[in-house]
Amino acid sequence: MSISKLVKVSFSGLAKYKGRTFLMMLGIIIGIATLTVIVAMTMGAQKKIMQNIQNFGPNSVMISAGGGKAWGPADEHTTTLTLDDMTAIKESINGIKYIAPFTNHQEQDIIYGNKKTTSAVIGATPEWADAWQWFTEKGDFISDEDVSSLSKNCVLGQTTSMELFSNQNPIGETVRINNTNFKVIGVMKKRGTSPLGMDMDRRITIPLPTAMRRLFNITYIGMLRLYLDDPDKLDEVTKSVTSILRERHHITPPEEDDFRVTNSIAIAKAVKGVSQTLVILLGLLSIIALLIGGIVITNIMFISVNERRKEIGIRRAFGARAKDIMNQFLTEALIITISGGIIGTILGIALSKGIALVKKMPVAISWESFVIAIVFSMIVGILAGLQPAKRAASLNPVDAIRG
Amino acid sequence: MIELKNITKTYKKDNSLEVHVLKGIDMEIKKGEFVAIMAPSGMGKSTLMNIIGCLDKPTNGTYFLDGIEVDTLNDDELSHIRNKKIGFIFQSFNLLPISTSLENVELPLIYSSDNVDLKHRVKSVLESVGLADRLHYKPSELSGGQQQRVAIARALVNDPAIILADEPTGNLDTASSEEIMNIFKKLNQEGRTIVIVTHELDIAQQAKRTIKMKDGKIISDERR
Repeated sequence: MSISKLVKVSFSGLAKYKGRTFLMMLGIIIGIATLTVIVAMTMGAQKKIMQNIQNFGPNSVMISAGGGKAWGPADEHTTTLTLDDMTAIKESINGIKYIAPFTNHQEQDIIYGNKKTTSAVIGATPEWADAWQWFTEKGDFISDEDVSSLSKNCVLGQTTSMELFSNQNPIGETVRINNTNFKVIGVMKKRGTSPLGMDMDRRITIPLPTAMRRLFNITYIGMLRLYLDDPDKLDEVTKSVTSILRERHHITPPEEDDFRVTNSIAIAKAVKGVSQTLVILLGLLSIIALLIGGIVITNIMFISVNERRKEIGIRRAFGARAKDIMNQFLTEALIITISGGIIGTILGIALSKGIALVKKMPVAISWESFVIAIVFSMIVGILAGLQPAKRAASLNPVDAIRG
Repeated sequence: MIELKNITKTYKKDNSLEVHVLKGIDMEIKKGEFVAIMAPSGMGKSTLMNIIGCLDKPTNGTYFLDGIEVDTLNDDELSHIRNKKIGFIFQSFNLLPISTSLENVELPLIYSSDNVDLKHRVKSVLESVGLADRLHYKPSELSGGQQQRVAIARALVNDPAIILADEPTGNLDTASSEEIMNIFKKLNQEGRTIVIVTHELDIAQQAKRTIKMKDGKIISDERR
């Protein structure tokens, strides 16, 4: 008996008992929908973590002035992190490929003609671009000459550039930062949102000495970024940096650090993943729903086999082999669970989108969740249908045909 | 074609009380015969019919069908024989109640390995029993005679050599009975072997040979 005939026979069997068929699907629909939501949420969180690592930059260690536990830009009033600290770190730690000191002043007024915006002002050296692996889209980045001559050149982030210049080419134009004129020499590539949710493209970068001496009149730097040869050294370097800085800043226990060191691994860990409890809870719900769904299918199919004894007997009389009957009922079970699985997946995707919207949680819809749903549906279908199908096949044709 | 040698059938009832339904049947039916097996109700006619149709196995004795010893065959082989060589017709029609005439007649073809043009074959058989205008009717929408004609079409669809009919007119009025018997006569004229089981004398007399049974044994065998 060919597969297409088999599916046709099984389908017609199910189509004639619609209410019952839906009842049998219900548990599977709920189970698979829940499963799909779990997969979507877990993968969404995973994707978000990967994206954060990417945005922060793999292989990177960041040091910012100011204590406290939360990660973020430097505390502008902490004056203890200096260029001497940078030299000390550079000399005593191996494995640093690039080291870039920079200052970061948030919410500065930037003016071009009659347009005005606010932006972070970054004072940086040429190493900054390598340490961040973040380069210009057009024009040039800060050069050694900009640094040595304390030039008044600047490089715009994408958001800042758009707000001041729209689609006009900003290179060669003059913008005002804190009443000082700067010439635009380049525009950075787009970077997106930081792990803390800040727009990383709302920025304007100027030479570090220009920022320290001309603009803000400070002797300290806010931040240091290291780029390592080898990501395996991230934790080791982070620890070494901490001990060097504590020693140089004369911090002894129980005093707390007056700086923060973080790396891409720590950033990844800091992302709020899907709560383990929620996954377990939903997982249990899914398993229970599938289990109950399976039991319901088994029971209804036993009833169905009993009610359809005569049909089975008639089929046997006209040449159905025991295994044809077995396959028919097994296929019916599989059609029920796979259809339930497909409906469940669609429902699950809809629910996931709803959760993403309402709860602002990242969800990822992928073909993997579809495959998982179908595999689970098939397993439940075979397990639930096997015993009833065996019973149907084992009926004595003569007894069966009497009804 | 059909050769039964000392066939017995014994059923065990609940408290190990044995019921001997067939007590040594010897019978030979040749190709193209039209045989009526007559016996009072509940005297093992249907059991004999099921054994001939390879649906049931005898307790003892041997059965040769086209020279093949049926007892040696397994379930798959018996199913194949039922599909290819036998066409069953029952007293209560035994149509699938929620299926149309077309679907009912198609049934044996589903289990046949031949890739014949299903729809065409099914339609032409239904036409041959005069039901061309009832293809999409369900059994409940048909009269008894029409239902039995659907059942005959189903028995014929795989072009079997033997038609086995168990009280085919038992649930029908006189006019319908006559129609059905005329179909059987016509099929026999076309060369098909027909075996019907009945307890009605006037039906049995329309066959060319009548075998009478009593108490699980053959008591007479006459040809006309």
